[in-house]
Amino acid sequence: MISRFLLAAGLAVLMVISGFGSYLYLGTRQSKLATPPQKPIAASPRAQAYVLPGTLYLAQSGALYSLSAGRFHQLTPEDGWMQPYLYPDGSSLLAVKRSGYHSDVFSLSRFGAVQAQLTNNAAGPRSYDTADNHWSFYPRLTPDMRTLFMSYDEPKYGFDVNMSVWSMPVGGNIRQARLWTYSNDYTGGDVEPIPLSNGAVLYTKYDYGDPPDNKLIAQLWITTRAGTYGRALTSINDDCLEPALSPNGRELAMICTHEKQISHLVIAPFDGANIGPLQEVITDQLVAQPTWAPDGSGIAYLAPAEANGPFQLWFLRKDAYHPPVPTPMPSPTPTPGTHLERSPRPVLYYPPVVVKPIQVTSFLGFDASSPLAWSN
Amino acid sequence: MPLGGQPGRRARASRRRLKLSRSLVLAVLAVALSSAAGGLAYFIPAAATAIQATGQIVSVASPTPTILFTPSPSPSPVTQGGPFTVLLLGSDDDSKFSSDHVLTQSMILVRVVPATKQVTMLSIPRDLWVPLSVGGTGKIDGAYSYGGAGAAIATVARNFGVHVDDYVWVGLLGLIKVIDAIGGIDMVTTNPVMDDYYPQDINSGDPYGYQRIAVMAGPQHLDGTHALQYVRSRHNDLQSDFGRSRRQQQVLIAIRQKAKRVAPADLPNLAAAIAGELKTSIGLDRVAELLPLAASFDNPDAIQQIVLLPPYTHGGGPGGSVTANWSLILPLVHQYFP
Repeated sequence: MISRFLLAAGLAVLMVISGFGSYLYLGTRQSKLATPPQKPIAASPRAQAYVLPGTLYLAQSGALYSLSAGRFHQLTPEDGWMQPYLYPDGSSLLAVKRSGYHSDVFSLSRFGAVQAQLTNNAAGPRSYDTADNHWSFYPRLTPDMRTLFMSYDEPKYGFDVNMSVWSMPVGGNIRQARLWTYSNDYTGGDVEPIPLSNGAVLYTKYDYGDPPDNKLIAQLWITTRAGTYGRALTSINDDCLEPALSPNGRELAMICTHEKQISHLVIAPFDGANIGPLQEVITDQLVAQPTWAPDGSGIAYLAPAEANGPFQLWFLRKDAYHPPVPTPMPSPTPTPGTHLERSPRPVLYYPPVVVKPIQVTSFLGFDASSPLAWSN
Repeated sequence: MPLGGQPGRRARASRRRLKLSRSLVLAVLAVALSSAAGGLAYFIPAAATAIQATGQIVSVASPTPTILFTPSPSPSPVTQGGPFTVLLLGSDDDSKFSSDHVLTQSMILVRVVPATKQVTMLSIPRDLWVPLSVGGTGKIDGAYSYGGAGAAIATVARNFGVHVDDYVWVGLLGLIKVIDAIGGIDMVTTNPVMDDYYPQDINSGDPYGYQRIAVMAGPQHLDGTHALQYVRSRHNDLQSDFGRSRRQQQVLIAIRQKAKRVAPADLPNLAAAIAGELKTSIGLDRVAELLPLAASFDNPDAIQQIVLLPPYTHGGGPGGSVTANWSLILPLVHQYFP
């Protein structure tokens, strides 16, 4: 027998607990869809993760990070930093700092300290037209490190704002800059320049594709002199962008979308002027920003870890796209005194080596529109 | 205590006590009821928003108002499991216009054939010059402004010769909130979208202000603000509204893909995001029917996307409008929206 008073009190407590409990329990059953990605320095790669050689530079939420020996280091505050690029001698970084209305190229030490501002794209203090500001994106240096290449939004005419490839002396100003490419109107223009050692420039050009759809597509182009009309290296239907030159300069990695909401990792031989057949390496992920390891051991790239999630860092070993040539089994050497019976020639079977990409990070959210940089 | 007399103190105390078995039954009932109440409290905001947003009654603002159709309980024209057509409307519900008198910057006819899992999306140019159902002639994006969803539906139905079963209206702020509530979307942005005069009318206090935007090209994860920039900008697109329509279709498909991962417990947050920013004539019961159907469509490339580029339309109409070539449009529409 239980006292009614005690029972009522107990039930009241029980009801409060179970009512709030079920409410709180349902709250815990929410998916993690809207959970913001962790900061890289809060979540280094898993202990068992693949440790990449050298130092990789990436951008997330407006900050630059380096990944070295399995640990992330934050190089800059979250203040619009993106698109890191390593000087050819590996001594410093170039990066873009973006604000609401303009972006500028900066030279940084490898630890993120600002060394110099290389462009000045903010409109003057007495300007009332937002179009007086400018964008600089995708900075690159020539091998001699004396010339800066970038995508810059000039010339522009009213609503027609496109980026073109420009070069300017490092330490100079935009008045000394040279226009290298003529972008197509109302396309977004020419981006991602890569100055080559032979003086040519490889870049991504946007254009309207074939009728009847006339979809906007991307193509890799090459031009050998400033102000000349270059030529396409990839077809319209391949819709390829984000080129990356291998350390030996003889291969290109890129992504191709085939005019769809997909992106395949593609590599192709390259001789400095022409491109060979495209080889699709990864076709089941939304690949972005392929970047060659400086030691040639593979390709790093960004892709979601699960469908429609933030972009993580992945690594694909070289074996995946250049499988080692199988060494033939040694043929038996007849020894004196032995008699070799004639038998059917054995058929050698080499099972195909499936090399899967390695997921290096989880729960982060790298800026997939920002190229990576990788040093020894 | 004598029989029939006043109960003693012990007896009164005994009556105030309950047997253990009864107490246990009461406890179980209490736990069940309070748990249900807790669950109800969790889902009440979502339910309230759903009830408020769905089942909108649609009428045409004309000299003789006509009820086009009403949501359940009246019989729906959509047969169970049969094909149906929905008109998607998107508006910049900013302070330039009074509430519910906004232009529809985006008008997309969607036909779904559940049996074959076929989806067709036809983007209607917002500047299309047509006879409006409310009288007169004007750009088709004004129909909603003059007469609400009913006028927009009637205008589309009469000009394109299609039967529209339902409509869904989304405000642009709602689009941002929905995309943020589902944690952003993955997309391949087809080109750098640059605009020096992009409207700065959302949460800025200045409905006529503008800003610069630059959405980079390629595969990326977009939050609501950047996804809206990608779909809304039309200044730097040779195809103007047509290019924008194509981008809108891409984002809709990406949202649908991401929405497949939404758990029931996410509904209150989603409801809070879309509160006041989404209206539909689809009844709540029908929404419940359609959710599993939407989840079963797993191939976004199978979705037929149609944009009425020239020669289906051409510019040079009155007030910067687009003129329709109905002799080409109507056979196309009847092919995909029979």
